[in-house]
Amino acid sequence: MELIIDAIITGILTGGVYALMASGLTLVFGVMEIINIAQGAFVILGAYLSYALAQHFHIDLFLGLLITMPVMFVLGVLIQVLFIRPLKRDRTMLSILVTFAVALIIEGVLTILFTANIVTLKAPYITQSFRIGNFYLSYIYVYGFLLSVVLLAGLYLLLYRTKFGQSVRASMLNRTAAQLIGIDVERVSALTFGIGVALTAAGGMAFGATTAFNPGSSYDLISRLLTIIVLGGMGSLSGALIASLGMLIIENVTAVVWSPTWSSTVFFVLLVVILILRPQGLLGKLEGRKQ
Amino acid sequence: MITARKYGKPVGLLALLGVAIAFPLVFSDPTYTTIAVFALIFASAASGWNIFAGYTGYIALGHAAYFGIGAYALAIICQRYNIPGGWEPIYLIPLCGLIAGVFAIPLGAIALRTRRHTFIVVTIATFFIVQLMAFNLRGLTNGSTGLDMPIPFQWGAGYQGGNQSIYNLPFYFTALALTIVALAVSWFIRHSKYGLGLLAIRDDEDRARGLGVRTGSSKLSAFVISAIFAGMAGALFAYFIGSVQPQFDFDPLFDLSIALMTFLGGIGTRAGPILGALVLEFAQQWLTLYFTQDGLYLILYGVLFLVVILLLPRGVIPSLQELWAKGRARGRIGPLVLPVKTPVMSAGTTSPPTATRMTGQAGETAHEEVPR
Amino acid sequence: MFGPTIATWRKIAALASILGLMLMGLAACGNNSGAGNTTPIKIGISLSLSGDFSADGQAFQQGYQLWADYVNSHGGLLGRQVKLDILSDASNEAQVTTNYQKLITQDKVDLVFGPYSTLLTKPASVVANRYGYALVEGAGGGPSVFNRGLNNVFDVSLPVANNLVSFTQLMAAMPAGQRPTSVAYATEDDPFTQPQVDLANQLLTQAGIPAAVPEIIYPAETTDFTPIAQKIIAAHADIVVLGTQLPDITAFILAFKQQHYNPKAIIATAGPDQGTQFLQAIGGAASAEGIMVPNGWFAEEKTPGNAAMVQAYIAKYGGTPDGISADVPEAYSVGQVVQQAVEKIGSLNQAKLIQELHSGTFTTVQGPVKFDSTGQNTAITSYLFQWQKGSLVPIYPADTFGAVAPEYPKPSWP
Repeated sequence: MELIIDAIITGILTGGVYALMASGLTLVFGVMEIINIAQGAFVILGAYLSYALAQHFHIDLFLGLLITMPVMFVLGVLIQVLFIRPLKRDRTMLSILVTFAVALIIEGVLTILFTANIVTLKAPYITQSFRIGNFYLSYIYVYGFLLSVVLLAGLYLLLYRTKFGQSVRASMLNRTAAQLIGIDVERVSALTFGIGVALTAAGGMAFGATTAFNPGSSYDLISRLLTIIVLGGMGSLSGALIASLGMLIIENVTAVVWSPTWSSTVFFVLLVVILILRPQGLLGKLEGRKQ
Repeated sequence: MITARKYGKPVGLLALLGVAIAFPLVFSDPTYTTIAVFALIFASAASGWNIFAGYTGYIALGHAAYFGIGAYALAIICQRYNIPGGWEPIYLIPLCGLIAGVFAIPLGAIALRTRRHTFIVVTIATFFIVQLMAFNLRGLTNGSTGLDMPIPFQWGAGYQGGNQSIYNLPFYFTALALTIVALAVSWFIRHSKYGLGLLAIRDDEDRARGLGVRTGSSKLSAFVISAIFAGMAGALFAYFIGSVQPQFDFDPLFDLSIALMTFLGGIGTRAGPILGALVLEFAQQWLTLYFTQDGLYLILYGVLFLVVILLLPRGVIPSLQELWAKGRARGRIGPLVLPVKTPVMSAGTTSPPTATRMTGQAGETAHEEVPR
Repeated sequence: MFGPTIATWRKIAALASILGLMLMGLAACGNNSGAGNTTPIKIGISLSLSGDFSADGQAFQQGYQLWADYVNSHGGLLGRQVKLDILSDASNEAQVTTNYQKLITQDKVDLVFGPYSTLLTKPASVVANRYGYALVEGAGGGPSVFNRGLNNVFDVSLPVANNLVSFTQLMAAMPAGQRPTSVAYATEDDPFTQPQVDLANQLLTQAGIPAAVPEIIYPAETTDFTPIAQKIIAAHADIVVLGTQLPDITAFILAFKQQHYNPKAIIATAGPDQGTQFLQAIGGAASAEGIMVPNGWFAEEKTPGNAAMVQAYIAKYGGTPDGISADVPEAYSVGQVVQQAVEKIGSLNQAKLIQELHSGTFTTVQGPVKFDSTGQNTAITSYLFQWQKGSLVPIYPADTFGAVAPEYPKPSWP
């Protein structure tokens, strides 16, 4: 029983970090209807940026986000402007191929700069832990979760309390109509893409602090992130949050009560059942005719 | 001119077939035939994928599941029934394709409940479910260790001490046959009423339904047909490699590869996927061979991707068609255009005017346009 | 008027030139095959220089290169220099198949050495078999390589499944008061690790040390190890046997440290044998203290050529003897075995080479080599190693050169 409670606690804490990584993906899909296959690679890039800052300049992982997040934001905007904006037709499919190409290039560059060796982030709060019952919890899980909560709350405020947020939501509802009422949809798209990528800098740091990684680690991540946003409903932020927590809790509990090899299967079966009942995902909207 | 147009196409196709048959005899070096076998396997899979994705406009990124099921089906059948290496496994390939098709029915039905954009991600998710099963159903799949295929030792003349350059030939011609079948089925569907229904779905699904196209069953059947080709390609791939392992035969990059191949050649065209597969498979193996150090090949491959997509977003064949159409509109069909009308290109160039009428789009090339 | 047309043409021309370049590249691969007595002996190898197995692939490349350097500076092989022809396979099985085809038929190599990992050795062995080439390898030890009746695959390293045998012997031989009473097993779902853990489980159970919980198997792509670590900890077993490679042993050590979990012994199938890489990954030598790993080789081992290899490694790649990955001697041994066999038969005839490999006995930096009928090495001993004060030292069998007493129980985490 205690094992299950521990599994749920870690599930919630790591689920928060996944929510951070998935929120960028689902937001970008919502606004642009593109699927950013490079999200996993951006997470790993974010982790490596934190690693490089910590290794060479001895900058604290959390403090380093003040540098890495703006850098990643600019990178995201550039990629959107250079590679995604030119896609005029068949955007969804071509965006998958373009972002896959970006992911390959990121992986190649990281391999050249950092080799394929496994690395881990190091900080005192990663190894130190505190006790709850018989169970020790590393500070990094709590800090990572708090970081996610703060950033997701910030994102929520940005979307629902600012003029920019209004434009984003209008673009999500109907791209063409948004354009008609004078919203610069391309600009909104570029900024949204930048925000989505900037969030992965934070997600990547939290991920790298709890997991050993190398440039090829992005493949396992992207599949999990994609299933999260399908379950939550494509384009739904709160859906992504619920799905992330649900996924990690279900996987962790299955791992301790049954077997880790079946933990993803249980989650996937649940996903299929939900999709049969609700094809649009938990909180997704039915796709209608958007033209 | 009219005669040339009328007979040009069959002659071109025959010439192309001749080239394909002669290729392994001219370039008998097994290195070339090996790469050619892989390229043709991908060509048949991409061509099959195009029947669904290209014609309906629904992009499926989970066909690696059916590729893997085909591969495992052949491995399991060969093991259970002690089938020796030789032609027998090749005869079983259609059966393996059908098995993959059977799996595609429920998985496709679930995925097709969602519409276009969500569908892409749902197919990816179903792929991961199937891959996990290959890892976890140990009794059937032997888990991560995988299964061994029989080895055709008795293709003896091509075996140890013999003329090894002929060993690849059965694989080559089987892959070629699969590609031809895929192309023929694409052609047949494209010219059928059923195919027109698929194109109508691509152009406007709601209107197609309104016009009486049974959209649900049309989409699902096209999905299953394309899964059958993926399954056959997987079975042949596994037999050629000699073993099956979950991480190689259920490879998420497979889908991105065939999608890119199809887009490079021209999605929705008949010859495009084949052209794309031949070019990309050669390119990939070549880049890996010569630029592998330190991940440089990843960068080059990615850049190649970007260049292709940004310069030729519609693929080689539609771009050429556009050119052809423009040239003709200006009354200048002559020397500028004709030289590039190689047989490869002409295979998918012209198409029935009915599709154009049906979808209500005007213009010479509208019927080959990619979906939105 | 010609604007768009010309632009489109330019694109087509660009694409065509890319295609042309590729074909030229392919054509350029064809090489002359002159096999006169002064030309170098070409050795073909496909290695994973990128992709999943790239870290090991690169270490393997170092091992092969060191061997080639040694041979070339000592009169060569059959009086000829050796030249390595290394292609990369990006950890991809289709590419492995193409690569060995190319090595044998186009590059016309005289000998082939194996790739990295059990998964890639399988397709490689099928191609080599077709051409009647002996495939001598050092890292394709999974049982599935050897049970399909190919007579041309030879693994110079310890048969994978037996890796943990020495550990089980050490545990079973513990005096009554110290002897562990229960074990927890966890292994990655992988053809390299799982057979080892299965056999250890069986042997320890026979020795009267039962498993505290059923063997925990986790998928290779696991990223979050906390729940698995929790499950191991909750078993309250005396010792922990882990079927891991470097990434997952790193994660387990981190999780165990966080949980203040201190079993009396921790052994991992692979990872702790990777020298500096391992220490860097877990954050320093203090965390490695007491961790065990099986291996067929260690830097101070008194085997033929070992001292020379270690010296050459440090001269060429830097670092310390303890920092040398176990992949390096595995690759080096492949070269040694082939060299001895070729010199014995006095030619590069593959059929004779295969025959000699099946019947002969060889010596390598990893110890003696004698192949059984399937091509597995029956002569090599598995040593048990432990990290003690920053170096990886042999602890079992006790008569091993330089063996020290095991640190048991393992000290608590720093």
